[in-house]
Amino acid sequence: MSPDIVDKIEELKSKYPSPRALVLPSLWMIQYEDGYISLDAIDEISELIDTPPMEIYRVATFYTMFNLEPVGRYHIQICKTLSCSLRGKSEVLKRVAEMLDIGVGETTSDGKYTLSQVECLGSCGTAPVMQINDIYHENLTPEKAEEIVDSLEKESI
Amino acid sequence: MRECRIVSKRFDTPNSHTLKVAKELGAYSAIDIAFGMTPVEIIEIIKESGLRGKGGGGAPAGAKWELMPQDQKRPSYLVVNCDESEPGTFKDRQIISKDPHLLIEGIIITCYAIRAKDAYIYVRGEYYQFQKILQDAIDEAYEAGILGSGVDITIHRGAGAYICGEKSALLESLEGKRGHPRLKPKQKEPEWYFGNPTLVNNVETIASVPYIIEHGASGYREFGTPKSPGTLLFAMSGHVERAGVYEAEFGTPMMEYIDHYGGGILGGKKLKAVIPGGASTAILTADEVKLATLDYEHMRSIGSALGTGGMIVMDEDTDMVEALKNLLEFYHHESCGQCTPCREGTGWSDTILDRVLSGRGSSKDIDKLLDLANIMDGKTICVFAPAVAIVIRSFIGKFRSEFEAKVAK
Amino acid sequence: MKSVDVTIDGQIYVAKEGTLLIDLLIKHDLKVPYFCYHEALGADGNCRMCMVEIEGQKRPQIACDTLIKEGMNIHTKGEMIDSVHLDVLELELINHPVDCPVCDQAGECKLQDYYMEYGLHDSYISKDEKVKHQKHIDLGSNVILDQERCVLCARCTRFTSDITKTHELGIIGRGDHARVSTMPNRKLSNPYAMNVIDLCPVGAMTSRDFRFKQRVWFLTSTPSICQGCARGCSIYIDHNRPKNQDEKIYRFRPRRCDDVNGHFICDVGRLSYKGLQEGRLRVAYLKEQESDIDRAIESYREIVDSSKGSTILLLADANLYLEELERIVEYAQSIGASVATPIKSYIDEEFGDEWLRSSMRASNAKAIEKLGITTELPKGDISLLISFNHPDADRIRADRVISLQTHLDIVDRYDVTLPLATYVESSGTLINIDGIEQYSPKVITPNDPIPTVVEWIDRVEGGAI
Repeated sequence: MSPDIVDKIEELKSKYPSPRALVLPSLWMIQYEDGYISLDAIDEISELIDTPPMEIYRVATFYTMFNLEPVGRYHIQICKTLSCSLRGKSEVLKRVAEMLDIGVGETTSDGKYTLSQVECLGSCGTAPVMQINDIYHENLTPEKAEEIVDSLEKESI
Repeated sequence: MRECRIVSKRFDTPNSHTLKVAKELGAYSAIDIAFGMTPVEIIEIIKESGLRGKGGGGAPAGAKWELMPQDQKRPSYLVVNCDESEPGTFKDRQIISKDPHLLIEGIIITCYAIRAKDAYIYVRGEYYQFQKILQDAIDEAYEAGILGSGVDITIHRGAGAYICGEKSALLESLEGKRGHPRLKPKQKEPEWYFGNPTLVNNVETIASVPYIIEHGASGYREFGTPKSPGTLLFAMSGHVERAGVYEAEFGTPMMEYIDHYGGGILGGKKLKAVIPGGASTAILTADEVKLATLDYEHMRSIGSALGTGGMIVMDEDTDMVEALKNLLEFYHHESCGQCTPCREGTGWSDTILDRVLSGRGSSKDIDKLLDLANIMDGKTICVFAPAVAIVIRSFIGKFRSEFEAKVAK
Repeated sequence: MKSVDVTIDGQIYVAKEGTLLIDLLIKHDLKVPYFCYHEALGADGNCRMCMVEIEGQKRPQIACDTLIKEGMNIHTKGEMIDSVHLDVLELELINHPVDCPVCDQAGECKLQDYYMEYGLHDSYISKDEKVKHQKHIDLGSNVILDQERCVLCARCTRFTSDITKTHELGIIGRGDHARVSTMPNRKLSNPYAMNVIDLCPVGAMTSRDFRFKQRVWFLTSTPSICQGCARGCSIYIDHNRPKNQDEKIYRFRPRRCDDVNGHFICDVGRLSYKGLQEGRLRVAYLKEQESDIDRAIESYREIVDSSKGSTILLLADANLYLEELERIVEYAQSIGASVATPIKSYIDEEFGDEWLRSSMRASNAKAIEKLGITTELPKGDISLLISFNHPDADRIRADRVISLQTHLDIVDRYDVTLPLATYVESSGTLINIDGIEQYSPKVITPNDPIPTVVEWIDRVEGGAI
């Protein structure tokens, strides 16, 4: 764990009545640093915020956004809930899956892309929507989705 | 239908999220007015205004504020609920990304009224790009001295769990635990954060406070209906021409709203159904929609609810069985798993509907779904399972023929 | 807290206002189904089985979260509440694997009991559609976890988080994929781990030691006291006599005793039943020669007679019953011997902890104290040492040694060795570390009974063989 994270955790302690509240912020910092959350990282956090490792592990398995295994460099999360479904999510998903030649829940062999379906992203007015890492890509069509993935390919070269 | 800009006043102005632009357009002007009153006086005004919680429940906000102790035996907290994960709902994100200073202003006034020094804004994990805008605004406010000497605001990021929008589950999550809703107390009392009295309110509820302080309770009541005063950031998604969030006053006829702001049904098709207030409200047929007004009382009287005001519009070609399956999958994924009826019932109703859709089902399965709805209703720790029951009952109740058609051999 | 009247199913009961309704129901043996509530762990409110109907309340309420109020009118039976019980039970069973034929819990399983009481319905589900999880996971500490059988009552997880505070177990995942687990590759390891087996109302947590050994309906449960240390925890001894075999003990289980051990026992004590059956001495020896009992007794009497007048020391094991110790003291007086119980060998500082385990490993050290038996080895030469199962028998120098012992350890250097009954084959009073007196009955009668201390002394004194 980088000293930056250790410092940040110490700083955050003053903002909450108990260090236990720092479970979520700590897990986020770990995930941004390592790409996923390992058991070693959980043990380290446990020491810093005075919370048993199992309590942190349980939290990590509860929330869908925490990865306990590494994911691809670009995590493509396509919203599957009703509004996006009504506005053409299936076609967008199909196109992306075909482009990357993987199914939902899988990662490309070069480790670049992971494809997931997620529940409502809170972007129903601009459906269909996908989230790639931290950014929303809205008002998708299969063509637009293809363009976006293409540009990621170019970016990563 | 008149335009109402209680919370969306600055939404369309470029850079409205910056302190400079927001201040030019009146941000923080209610603070001095508020500080000229006592906390108890402010709570009275909120009560008089009839402000109702905008997170889906619609409970009177003033009554909740009143539960907070005015003595300071323990520190009080304000928690702003921006977990917004109800399908069809995307209004709070507009506030934090387009007018975050309005929210900060509301937080300062609310904290003053409930004598809290610390406020947490719990933002759902997926909203990171909007959270950053909010954080920048908070940083600006600290720099300008608006925050820091009375109130401290900390953003706490969620990580993908719809149930954390339930206020007691949110507090569990904020305490660093799994989002398990708490058993409900038998008497009226505030919420508790690490054992300290806490007020949990939706983003839009808090964002409505500056207007009420500036224009008074009667100013707020100029909009809406006597029982549902004020406005709501209603939203439309699904089969409408112009999906999006448009503030409107309570009492607005639903069809008028859909036509005026939404531009009518996408592609000129016929309306079939609308889920009025986010997924967890009873679905309405086109006939019901045409007679409906957007207020809590009317929705209740026809057996539905206004919820978050996020309308999901469905046209004549929508397969209602597939639509129900989509929602049941959502609930199946999002159940926290703590109590038996919900944990097993959400999984089972999804599986049974699978049978129906795959052609292996029978009429018995449709009845079993209604049975499960009854089992899940009224026996659980929180209202998640009763919401699933409402969804199942209303879909099957109003569109039974489509379900029967799937199982007919 | 004032006492108030409440009505339950038409009958009036007195209860303390503000206490839990479920405690009242349990106290009066009123049938209420529940999984997650436990007197030692408190309520969790997640199983939703303990629902009762309360007049004036629209919906049924869970009894574990309802406080007694004056004049409450409660129904635990009736059409409405019966159907609620059936509904919740149906959902508990819906994903439950059809494991009864191979599950150790059968016969003491709450799901089975409640099904017979409240269910008796047909399953709506095919087993292919049930949610699958991992089965027979070895958690360590003799505990095996079957995640599919689990009803997620959280008793085991609350035990490791609230009672032992070791936090090995937790519910991970969400929704119907929630399951009990340890962190990957980590084990359950605390001195009280096996208590989760008793806490678990179903067959999710089972004992590796007891696995597949016996069906519980063939077992007899006899209340007893564990003698692993001076705490004297209350236990049940489960035993039977298989066809053509000798009576045997299959397991110890904790027995509730509010004054001593509450609801729990430690793992060492729990497994100490093995020591009572393995490596037992069942025949007499004269030096290294096996001997019949009559010859051995003859030899015993000769040795005692010829030692009269010189230094005879009787060593009394600090685990013997009070009555047995009293008999030894009496016997000592009659043959002019002194009695001692060197106590140091029984002390294990590493074993003692802040909860149940005492560093005094002898179960009746307090009785030794009460009877004024010296705990130091007397100085000087010893002509005859007669040891009644004392652990130091082989380490003390004496001209001649007679040993009465339960186990097969060193025999060939004693002049006479006689087999001795264990505490389950005898009965008497124990005084625990806090001075609490407890009675321990005889549990096992072997096919060839072995004499107890009192029986031996009566015999050697009696003249007749």
